Amino acid sequence: MQQAEKQSKPPGALASVLSLFNTSVGRKITTGLTGLGLVAFVVIHLAGNLTLFVGSESFNAYAHKLESLGPLLYVAEIGLIAVFVFHIIFTIAVTAQNKGARASAYAVKGDAGKPSRKSLSSQTMIYTGLVLGAFVVWHVWMFKFGPGLADGYAEVHHGEAYRDLYRLVAESFQNTWITAAYVFVMILLGTHIRHGFWSAFQSLGAYHPRYTPLIYSAGIALAVLLAVGFLALPLYFYFAVPVMPA
Amino acid sequence: MNLTLKIWRQPSPQSKGSMETYPIAGVTEHMSFLEMLDVLNEQLIKSGQVPVEFDYDCREGICGTCGLVINGVAHGPKKLTATCQLHMREFKDGDTITIEPWRADAFPVIKDLVVDRSAFDRIVSKGGYISINTGNARDANELPIGKEDADQSFDAATCIGCGACVASCPNASASLFTSAKISQYTYLPQGNPERERRVLKMVQQMDEEGFGNCSNHGECEAACPKGISIKNIAIMRREYVKAALKSGTLLV
Amino acid sequence: MSEIKIGDAIQGHIPDGEIAKKWDNYKANIGVVNPANKRKYTVLVIGTGLAGASAASSLAELGYNVKAFCIQDSPRRAHSIAAQGGINAAKNYQNDGDSTWRLFYDTVKGGDYRSREANVHRLAQVSVNIIDQCVAQGVPFARDYGGLLANRSFGGALVSRTFYARGQTGQQLLLGAYGAMMRQAELGKVSIFTHREMLDVIVVDGHAKGVTIRNLKTGEIESYAGDAVLLCSGGYGNVYFLSTNAMNSNATAAWRCHKKGAYFANPCFTQIHPTCIPVSGEYQSKLTLMSESLRNDGRVWVPKTKETAEKLRKGEIRPRDIAEADRDYYLERRYPTFGNLVPRDVASRNAKYVCDEGRGVNESGLAVFLDFADAINRLGRDAVEDRYGNLFEMYERITGENPYETPMQIFPAVHYTMGGLWVDYDLQTTIPGLFALGEANFSDHGANRLGASALMQGLADGYFVVPYTLGDYLAKQKPVNASDTSHPAFKTSVDEIKAQMEKLMAVNGDKTVLEFHRELGLKMWDYVGMSRTAEGLQKALAEIPKLREEFWNNVRIPGEGDGWNKNLEMAMRVADFLELGELMALDAFNRNESCGGHFREEYQTPEGEAQRNDDEYSYVAAWEYSGNPSEPVLHKEALQFDNVKLTQRSYK
Ligand SMILES: Cc1cc2nc3c(=O)[nH]c(=O)nc-3n(C[C@H](O)[C@H](O)[C@H](O)COP(=O)(O)OP(=O)(O)OC[C@H]3O[C@@H](n4cnc5c(N)ncnc54)[C@H](O)[C@@H]3O)c2cc1C
Ligand code: HEM
Ligand code: HEM
Ligand code: SF4
Ligand code: F3S
Ligand code: FES
Repeated sequence: MQQAEKQSKPPGALASVLSLFNTSVGRKITTGLTGLGLVAFVVIHLAGNLTLFVGSESFNAYAHKLESLGPLLYVAEIGLIAVFVFHIIFTIAVTAQNKGARASAYAVKGDAGKPSRKSLSSQTMIYTGLVLGAFVVWHVWMFKFGPGLADGYAEVHHGEAYRDLYRLVAESFQNTWITAAYVFVMILLGTHIRHGFWSAFQSLGAYHPRYTPLIYSAGIALAVLLAVGFLALPLYFYFAVPVMPA
Repeated sequence: MNLTLKIWRQPSPQSKGSMETYPIAGVTEHMSFLEMLDVLNEQLIKSGQVPVEFDYDCREGICGTCGLVINGVAHGPKKLTATCQLHMREFKDGDTITIEPWRADAFPVIKDLVVDRSAFDRIVSKGGYISINTGNARDANELPIGKEDADQSFDAATCIGCGACVASCPNASASLFTSAKISQYTYLPQGNPERERRVLKMVQQMDEEGFGNCSNHGECEAACPKGISIKNIAIMRREYVKAALKSGTLLV
Repeated sequence: MSEIKIGDAIQGHIPDGEIAKKWDNYKANIGVVNPANKRKYTVLVIGTGLAGASAASSLAELGYNVKAFCIQDSPRRAHSIAAQGGINAAKNYQNDGDSTWRLFYDTVKGGDYRSREANVHRLAQVSVNIIDQCVAQGVPFARDYGGLLANRSFGGALVSRTFYARGQTGQQLLLGAYGAMMRQAELGKVSIFTHREMLDVIVVDGHAKGVTIRNLKTGEIESYAGDAVLLCSGGYGNVYFLSTNAMNSNATAAWRCHKKGAYFANPCFTQIHPTCIPVSGEYQSKLTLMSESLRNDGRVWVPKTKETAEKLRKGEIRPRDIAEADRDYYLERRYPTFGNLVPRDVASRNAKYVCDEGRGVNESGLAVFLDFADAINRLGRDAVEDRYGNLFEMYERITGENPYETPMQIFPAVHYTMGGLWVDYDLQTTIPGLFALGEANFSDHGANRLGASALMQGLADGYFVVPYTLGDYLAKQKPVNASDTSHPAFKTSVDEIKAQMEKLMAVNGDKTVLEFHRELGLKMWDYVGMSRTAEGLQKALAEIPKLREEFWNNVRIPGEGDGWNKNLEMAMRVADFLELGELMALDAFNRNESCGGHFREEYQTPEGEAQRNDDEYSYVAAWEYSGNPSEPVLHKEALQFDNVKLTQRSYK
């Protein structure tokens, strides 16, 4: 009596897994994962960098330790680059889709109020993100690929010559422009994370009536901590640490 | 009260629209917003002008036909209220009110404030149902469903398909609408057999319609006249990953 | 007024046999279309409410090709979406003695013995299947903690047989049916045409073979051919202008069929719902219903004297200032047994009477109080909030008043129309091949519909009745070519409609469509409303044709005929209402008795109850269009009650 089910098949095996990269929902999974990965990196990076407050010895030792990880470090660095690249590609793709969905803008923009999570931070992710991206390139070029042992930035520990990164950092932040730029970018970093942190959980499908508000608040706290933690460093060097002559 | 209305006028889908200004007098606080527009239209007709077109049907907040962006907010300033249930007591004498249509490329304007939301129907056609032919059902009480699951399902099922989520979303995303439908069936045992197929196909259709992606702004929930929670968007994503991995045979 | 022309009696084609076996006998003996042939047939479904969507999906599942049309931008927005209270079914899950028989009996009695026994029994029989079907579709009916379905008693029924989904039962049922239809759309069996209004039915060799449709988006007039037409276009309550119906609900589809030969049955049977939010001003565009359940705990009253009421209206005193002794709880006073829970028509009529006496409240004097102060004292605010919280919220949203603090104001409003296209047992109209389902037909509710039974009827018609009866019809028809609309009847119809539109556009008079509609509504409300008199009806019969004439000479329709034009849309509907209104008045005038929703003041018991006249009026009045809206021909279908004993209602 009933007609045979001729419903179209669901997407094939490969297609469904690939769809994690080319459908809207799939892409958000990637932005969420990479975003959290980057947050994790930044947290660790800050923890390491805080040793700058202790003094040149501990910071340089820390940097040296990392350096001496050898191949492991390369793996981690490649991983980090991959996370950055994926994050950038997918967030740009997502943003492009978003911008393309409403050709004519509203004459008046309003806010619907609570419980909306729309904020300056949520609406500027692409801008804060792009600045962060540009910053990282400059930053890595400045520090990681900046002057090293060969250029006389060396400190001797237990008979071994360590790269004196501490001095490089300290000197860099004597420059008003560099310091100002860092402070500015660190504020943007906080802004990016303020929305990004909770958003990543939501993107991964982790919603819970009790925990989500906690995560949301935690995101704000984390954003402030990271921004303050990072921006304290350039300010500290700029105002508080006299440069020792080489 | 006397008001100044700034209204989007667009004679046809192809033509370019613009904002026009209309003063209106004699509005009372008991009028609904749409009744206020009725009054304006009567005045326009009497004076030989073309009335402002806007869509509506039930005028009691359930059919989802009405929908105006009022001062930049979809369905206007009152929480949990569709445009047709918004009353003029929310405004003050002398106010200027800007009225625009839902704006999203997936919702093309038909005329003035009327838009075409058939994209929603096409999303539903991809799986916003449980496949059961008439006459095949077993006794309704043979399948007990816990009250809590039934309630959660219901919360999602109250969506009226108005499209305010799309209109209010900075990305013009249909995630809230689509996810509400998906999660309605996620909570029900009847929905299980088609679980993966449903989420994969509905999401695919949602993308094909040209809606934006969801950046978790949550503006949709705030504008939604039924208060549909963005929890549903998270559920949709969870379901999606499970489905994609499962039908990719990485799981099971 | 000239004499009413009486035509031949008509028959409902009721199958033989014992009442409980009729439907099964029928199904066993009908023609069936061979499965392989079903796909050769195309069925045109007008309307996607509960009736239309359930029919469209069920027929498509069987293999027919379906084209479904609706006015709204999505099929999901049909007026059925607004039903709040619930849907009846004789499941007897509560073990309180319900049965098919009892539901059948209650419905016939509730209809004040003006419905067809056989149809009602079938309705009661399939009611149980509806619930099964809907639950399988995932409709989230209320459940108890054990996970089983919950029921409530509704509209004064003695058993708990109403299934409900919070206050949104219609919405959830419709979304279920809509989903089923969208599934068939995805499978290619249903094509959906939104923003379309049917303006004519095409009759070829005496059979309905197509429709003429206006595309509301582009303004184009389109033709569609098919093997049968199912009219599922809802009720005509908007003839009163103000009603609880959605703004686009209309009589046009049914009326145009009527003009092509389908008889219109019992047009004067309309239902007025007692608990609606009152009119607040001239600009009022529609009325909002509030669930009848409010009367379980709310007490209805008005001030004892006109003077107090006047002070209240002027705002000199507040409701709470009126002492207990100065209040008249008129329902409790007049109906000590049922009190505030008297049936809809009784409650409505009494509200009208006290307002006529000048004791109404609200600025307009057209409202009565529904007071929860006692309930709050007795049960506590929380309990009241638990039961009625969302209704109170809705009330406050609309009126800006807080019902916890000040009594609600309510007034009756037109809610449902029992009349509709005449159909036989097969749901077929007097035009073969044209079927009418749901509120658009007249079939099951007699002179008064019980609460929660319209949803049941719409779904019964669509899911469980028409798939059989249509099959029987189609089995005898050769399939047409659905893409061929070259028959001259199509072109004639398109030309006629274009001419009508052009004529309307060309009038360019002084009055707007809305003004005409409002004026007609007032007349209908005053003369053909809750309480009717021969005198008033005669006035209506004299004034409506005049208004109609004025309409055609003085209406102003702005804009163009092509493209979206809401005023033009409405004008076409109002034109039809102006004809239907007259027929309603005539039908009410002709029916010299009171029954159910039709109350003629001349015919009441000493207690003020509706006084039926079973000897002379136990028939369905089926009206045939004669070419002149003022001179229809009356065909009577005699009603026979073999199973239910006729009794007089009393709620004292
Ligand atoms: C506020 C309210 C509450 C109610 N509550 C209850 C309740 O609790 N329980 C209950 O049992 N009943 C209730 N009813 C009654 C019940 O909702 C309706 O009788 C029932 O839903 C009608 O369904 P339908 O399918 O016949 O028509 P509708 O749902 O009215 O659908 C009509 C369809 O026809 C289409 N249409 C109309 N004209 C045309 C045309 N010319 N061309 C093309 N398409 C057309 C429309 O677009 C729509 O799709 C309520 C009614 C109201 C007003
Ligand atoms: C390097 C350049 C970067 C760019 C271009 C960028 C861009 C973006 C954009 C546009 C989004 C929003 C995505 C959306 O709308 O759905 C986003 C989200 C996010 N970003 Fe970045 N970002 C960058 C770097 C970073 C860094 C350094 C961090 C960590 C500290 C980070 C953490 C996050 C997180 C957690 C999210 C939320 C992910 C989600 O909601 O799914 N991003 N990023
Ligand atoms: C004031 C704040 C910061 C200071 C003082 C600082 C300092 C440093 C230093 C000294 C290095 C070199 C490490 C090495 O070569 O071993 C480094 C590397 C790096 N920093 Fe920062 N950093 C800061 C903020 C940030 C921020 C906000 C980001 C990211 C958004 C970031 C991303 C990186 C990356 C990606 C590297 C390269 C790591 C590697 O390849 O091992 N830094 N940083
Ligand atoms: S989710 Fe809310 S805003 Fe979106 S369509 Fe549904 S009811 Fe409207
Ligand atoms: S507002 Fe838009 S970004 Fe997501 S949470 Fe809502 S769809
Ligand atoms: S008109 Fe129906 S929801 Fe507003």
